[in-house]
Amino acid sequence: MNEKAVNEDFDSVFSDLLNGCEDLHTFLQDLQKLVPDAVFRLYSNDGCVVPEDDHLGLESETYDSLIKDVAEDGSVLSFFELPDKSLLYCRAVPQINSVLFFKFPGCSAGLFPNQVTLSLLQSFIEHALLKKETRVVKLENEQLIRQSEVRNEQFRKLLADNHQQYLLIQSKEKEYAKTLEIEIDRQTSELREKNRQLEEASRLKSEFLANMSHELRTPMNAVIGFSDILAETDLNEIQSEYCKTISKSAAGLLVLINDVLDLAKIESGKFELENDSFSIAELIKNVDDMFKMAAKGKDLCLSHFVDSRLPGVLKGDANRIRQIMVNLTGNAMKFTNQGCVDIRADLTKQTEDAVDVRFSVSDTGIGIPEERQDAVFEKFTQADGSTTRKFGGTGLGLAISNELVKLMKGKMTLTSVTGKGSAFSFTIPMTKSAQEQTEKTTKDPAESHVDMEGDRKIRVLLVEDNKVNQRLTGIFVQKQGHEVGVAGDGMVALEKLKTGKWDLILMDIQMPNMDGREATIKIREIESSPEMRDQYESLYHRKTPVPIVGLTAHARKEDEEGCYSVGMDAFLTKPIKNQRLAEIIQDQIRRIRALEKESPLVKPEE
Amino acid sequence: MPTAKEIVRKFNDLKTLPHVAIRVTQLVNSEKSTMRDFEEIIKLDPILVTRLLRLVNSPYFALANKVESISKAVVYCGMKNLRNLVAVEAIKDLFKEKGDDPVFSRRHLWLHCATISILSDMIGKRIFGLPGDDLFLAGIIHDIGLIVEDQVAGDLLRKACMAYNPPKNSLVECEQEMIGTDHCKVGMLLAKEWKMPEEVLKAIRFHHDTEKKNQISSVTSILQLSEYIAGKMKYSAIPDKIDPLSPLLVRHVKNMMGNYKLIIRDLPTEMAKAKELYENNE
Repeated sequence: MNEKAVNEDFDSVFSDLLNGCEDLHTFLQDLQKLVPDAVFRLYSNDGCVVPEDDHLGLESETYDSLIKDVAEDGSVLSFFELPDKSLLYCRAVPQINSVLFFKFPGCSAGLFPNQVTLSLLQSFIEHALLKKETRVVKLENEQLIRQSEVRNEQFRKLLADNHQQYLLIQSKEKEYAKTLEIEIDRQTSELREKNRQLEEASRLKSEFLANMSHELRTPMNAVIGFSDILAETDLNEIQSEYCKTISKSAAGLLVLINDVLDLAKIESGKFELENDSFSIAELIKNVDDMFKMAAKGKDLCLSHFVDSRLPGVLKGDANRIRQIMVNLTGNAMKFTNQGCVDIRADLTKQTEDAVDVRFSVSDTGIGIPEERQDAVFEKFTQADGSTTRKFGGTGLGLAISNELVKLMKGKMTLTSVTGKGSAFSFTIPMTKSAQEQTEKTTKDPAESHVDMEGDRKIRVLLVEDNKVNQRLTGIFVQKQGHEVGVAGDGMVALEKLKTGKWDLILMDIQMPNMDGREATIKIREIESSPEMRDQYESLYHRKTPVPIVGLTAHARKEDEEGCYSVGMDAFLTKPIKNQRLAEIIQDQIRRIRALEKESPLVKPEE
Repeated sequence: MPTAKEIVRKFNDLKTLPHVAIRVTQLVNSEKSTMRDFEEIIKLDPILVTRLLRLVNSPYFALANKVESISKAVVYCGMKNLRNLVAVEAIKDLFKEKGDDPVFSRRHLWLHCATISILSDMIGKRIFGLPGDDLFLAGIIHDIGLIVEDQVAGDLLRKACMAYNPPKNSLVECEQEMIGTDHCKVGMLLAKEWKMPEEVLKAIRFHHDTEKKNQISSVTSILQLSEYIAGKMKYSAIPDKIDPLSPLLVRHVKNMMGNYKLIIRDLPTEMAKAKELYENNE
């Protein structure tokens, strides 16, 4: 927008408010101040004439004709001689759209202005014009200052706002962090509580399991025991057949119960592996022996192989490896109708003190379809539903074996082709045993129980609350030729020790009134105090502590340790087997003899 | 004849201000709102985000750095400025219209509102040294009542516009006669629903009231000054018709003539800078 257009705009905007001549007035005032003696008159294009009173004393026609001349001349300062000989100066001032007339008193035609005077006058006019412009610039400047003040203020406010924002966000963040913390605390304590509950539940579960195993084994004890005893009585053929069936079924049931309990133990993480020295060759041969008869019956060839590079003795849990191998071989036998079953132990890796042993069982049986191969390791599953019917079994065996292998840091693998056969194998790391050499010389307990010295009649006190077990164990002890007495709990047992002379105590752990542990602690206490010992017929004459054998249905390791910790000498898990009981009793007799020989001076009687 | 309230109710049945705009206005009024809250709300309308960023980066704000996020925009321009931009974006659509009616045109009215908001902002800053936030907002929405009336009673509004013949009568008088209420009352009610600041509401209500003695530096007076100047520059609300200025303001302008001259001189430049804001990018 050019200057003119702005001015026009401006005029049209404020035309009704504005005295159009005002600008001219100020211009003239400024000029007057510079040249106080001069007389002025200003004619604007819009028809404004300033000042209203004419002090120059000219005809209006004169002005009109002069204005025309000057307009053509531009902004050059020109002068005319007036009739009274005075000089009239005039000049167009396009900046204010006007023509300016003026004269100086005493300035007559005789004194023509020289160049200096003229340029001086010119600069006065320019000066007045500049002054006018300055006013605008000054206003502009003022507005700029105000604007910049506003800007400053806005900027300051923006800074303050942003600071406020910063504080707000910070406090909100703190608040958020706090709630987060509280929430985490809450969740943590919740989790802790849940964890505690889980631990409690797990503890209850394992306690329940322990109790269950007691409850299950007690009747099993009776069934197995009495059917064994029954088998030895005078039976006719049919009865003997029935008796065998009972025996076999009971044994099967016991295996099943053990499986379920094992699995439960593994799952609850309570399962602990033994780490004793044993011979792999012997183990494999044992397994082979177990199935020899069955193989003959089914007309299968059964073979076994043990890598000769394997050390004779290794450390590990022989019972569990045997359990796995028996399970795998049993399965192989079950699902193979013709051909062979092969049991192997191979060396796959050897270091200075450890080996990796690969155990495998392969057969030429029905095989397992590929899509079912993963399923066979699942609990309660067999290769397929119909197989369950055809072949029977719980489907627990492989699951347990699989878990056991995992516990031994190995992995069970299966390769199988339907119709051709299956091969199960697992490789586990085992450490070499230091006692390899001495192992061979250790005597077999099975051979030593015919020791002459152990073959002596003794008096056995059976402390047991369960009537059936009292009878069964009683019968076992009597059958071995020993005398037996029965006490229903720990209290009764102590009484009996006072009045009678007993050589060995079979002590049940779980009993009412006074349990086996307490009773054992009591007996050991009495033995260590001469005054008290004198009151007990069974104890006062003894050179050595009376042997106490713990009887428990709990098959847990901590139960065994518990027995030893209270001072028992041996430990027997129910169901009690005649053979094992005999071995233990003989062991104890032998041990005591040996001790008495070594320290005959223990007797505290003098 | 309907009351202002009824007209606003009828209008609300037809058009609503975007939810985002109302929430933003509420946020700006609240002390505890953070720029994060602000951004959360604006983000709901992705088109608005783009437009706002374009506005913030336009010559009007003359920022040194390019702003790419709403929260940064808040940091650089302040929440009030952003609220104004949101308001512009929100009501812009209401002024869109097909055709050109010589008696009353929304498109013409939009140009009027834009001019008023820029002028008010300039007068506020340059003459009174006031921040322009509320002035700008008041300028943009001061005639929203006319849109409402046009929407609800377009024919009556046109009759009023035709009867309007300043200085013999005023537009407000004609509206009262034809419609039964006027755009000042209607506009204020609507703006109140939109939770606009008190000062802005007052300016909408009284921007045609020349009897009431307002402070010269009040939003209302500045709006009246802008109305007068814009009207003289052919940016009147109703084409070619303007109400006269009150004697108090006439005196003020006369005293500050040089200043106002400068404002008029610079108005075109300022308008050009704010082009992005006002142009209906259809």
